Amino acid sequence: MAKWGMVIDLDTCTGCQACTTACAMENNRLPGENWQDVLFYHEGTYPNVKLMWFPRPCMHCENPSCVSVCPTKATYKDPDGGFVLMDYNKCIGCKYCQVACPYGVRFYVDEKAVVQPDIRGVFPSEAGRQWDPPYKGPQDDPSRGIGIQPHGVVSKCTFCYHKVSKAPKGVADLDEDIPELKEYVPACVRVCAPKARFFGDLDQPNSNVNKMIADKRGVRLKDETGNKPQVYYLSGGATASVPSLRSMSDSDKA
Amino acid sequence: MTSVTVSNKEITSKQLGIMLLALIGLGIAGGIAISNLMAEGHAAYNTNNLGLFWGFPIVIYDYFLLTSTGLAMVASMALIFGGEEYRPIIRRSLWLALAGLLGGVAVLMLELGHPLRALWAIPFSFAFSSPLYWKVMAVSFYVLSLLILQVRMMKPDWRMQDLRINAMVTLALALGVTAIAGVVYGSQSFRPFWASGDIPVAFIFESLLGGLAFIIFFTYLAYAFNAAAVPASVKRLFNDRLSTLLALAIFIHLLFVLARMSSGLYGNVEGLQVWQHIAASPLFFAEILIGLLLPLVLLMYPGTRIRPWAQILASLLVMNALLISRYEYIIGGQLVPLFKGSWAPELLSYAPSPTEWLLLLVAIFLSNAVNALGEVTLRLGREG
Repeated sequence: MAKWGMVIDLDTCTGCQACTTACAMENNRLPGENWQDVLFYHEGTYPNVKLMWFPRPCMHCENPSCVSVCPTKATYKDPDGGFVLMDYNKCIGCKYCQVACPYGVRFYVDEKAVVQPDIRGVFPSEAGRQWDPPYKGPQDDPSRGIGIQPHGVVSKCTFCYHKVSKAPKGVADLDEDIPELKEYVPACVRVCAPKARFFGDLDQPNSNVNKMIADKRGVRLKDETGNKPQVYYLSGGATASVPSLRSMSDSDKA
Repeated sequence: MTSVTVSNKEITSKQLGIMLLALIGLGIAGGIAISNLMAEGHAAYNTNNLGLFWGFPIVIYDYFLLTSTGLAMVASMALIFGGEEYRPIIRRSLWLALAGLLGGVAVLMLELGHPLRALWAIPFSFAFSSPLYWKVMAVSFYVLSLLILQVRMMKPDWRMQDLRINAMVTLALALGVTAIAGVVYGSQSFRPFWASGDIPVAFIFESLLGGLAFIIFFTYLAYAFNAAAVPASVKRLFNDRLSTLLALAIFIHLLFVLARMSSGLYGNVEGLQVWQHIAASPLFFAEILIGLLLPLVLLMYPGTRIRPWAQILASLLVMNALLISRYEYIIGGQLVPLFKGSWAPELLSYAPSPTEWLLLLVAIFLSNAVNALGEVTLRLGREG
């Protein structure tokens, strides 16, 4: 059994948001429903201000709190691959998983549109889905949260399950530089221009992702929650780093 | 006997008037709220994806649910531990518990993305790890237990000792529902404002306080706030026992709130800074000073404790304070961004939308209509 994980090298990430765009296009996300986001912020006060950024997909945790709180088992941990997925057919839209996710990576987009004008009005759906854009991904699997979601359900990043799950068995790393594997690489990883993202099997000791986590002391975001993310960050501290504080200090407010 | 019969007729006509008013209010508030929801969907609410996932409808639902369990606790404890003097309030408490629950659940149904799916998806999911699963299952058995008790008390000559086992089950379920409701929030370890082992216990005392306030207020309402029409046995019970119990419950609830506030203001744990925001808000001052301390003074002072107006006012103020308390707890716990705090505002902002306010009216009117229906058809006042 594979346990797919992602490594994001913050020293290499330039905050270009190609990952955000690729994810939105691959998965037909609404504007503002960024399954994969790059969060920008600043630290320090003038003249010592640093512009920071932080790429943030769903962490596909080993021990996800969103799964344990779901009253209908609509969100579940896929035993073959370690994906955390949504079953749109079971979700009742109670949003408990959103409340229980420490990373803010789940979306309930039935509310007011984050980005105006509301594009759902431009491309309305007649099939009970949130919207019907002119181009839709060919993959549609509501039981795994793939495709445009219906109304009243929570959505989230799937680690591009529709691509990764078709990879040849036993592959340790999905690298876009290997021609025969690049179709199986998650969209955000495949388009990463500075090659800051890596995707592989955390259960294979010799996988490149495992070596990087060991060599560069990969860390997990908010590890203290016990969720055990399958996304690791590498940070030398030169540029972006894993934020440790959740609130602004007084000096950051200026 | 004649005077009681006349009094019952008067009460019945007044209750029919209350029911009619509540139905008209329900029709107007519900009609506008549902038309807003049909037109805008969930966009009619002011919740968002920045961190405010559970808004005012959840506050309303939990408020009515916990009030219901509080009423059931009052009734079942009176059956188990009390004596005949509690008889006048037991059936009314139980019916009010059902009426309140109905109002709260109706609002929850209007908030869920797929309310009808929830009816089968939750019970058949066997999601044992989810507090919400246990909450729904416990509420289902709780309702069943309330109904059985109510049916068994339809006979005019029902005896308290015959119902003790049934009352014990109801009490256990009411405590269970309330404690699980506390676990839903208290188990969120990464939300320090919510997470605490004492939350289920605090919820139980809060529920009990709500139950006591509601039964006093709605008993007076049953007699159209005409203290002269209230039977002597009810007056005696309120003056001797329930006012004291209400004061005690207010004091315990105050202790829980102030203890959480003091540790929140003193501690520097990330997430507790929302206490500075809450403790500085006029709403919080209104809750503490007007909603809890003023009723406490009214009920502790011997000269006012036995006055019907003081009992009604104290109950009404407590009912409002508990709504504020529930609002601050549920919304306050979400105001601190969990993870985006470094680049999101220090605190998120939220205010209920007009549709969300209408849902509060829906719950109030629906509960009142059902309660008045019970007063008329079940003659809940006959025990007095």
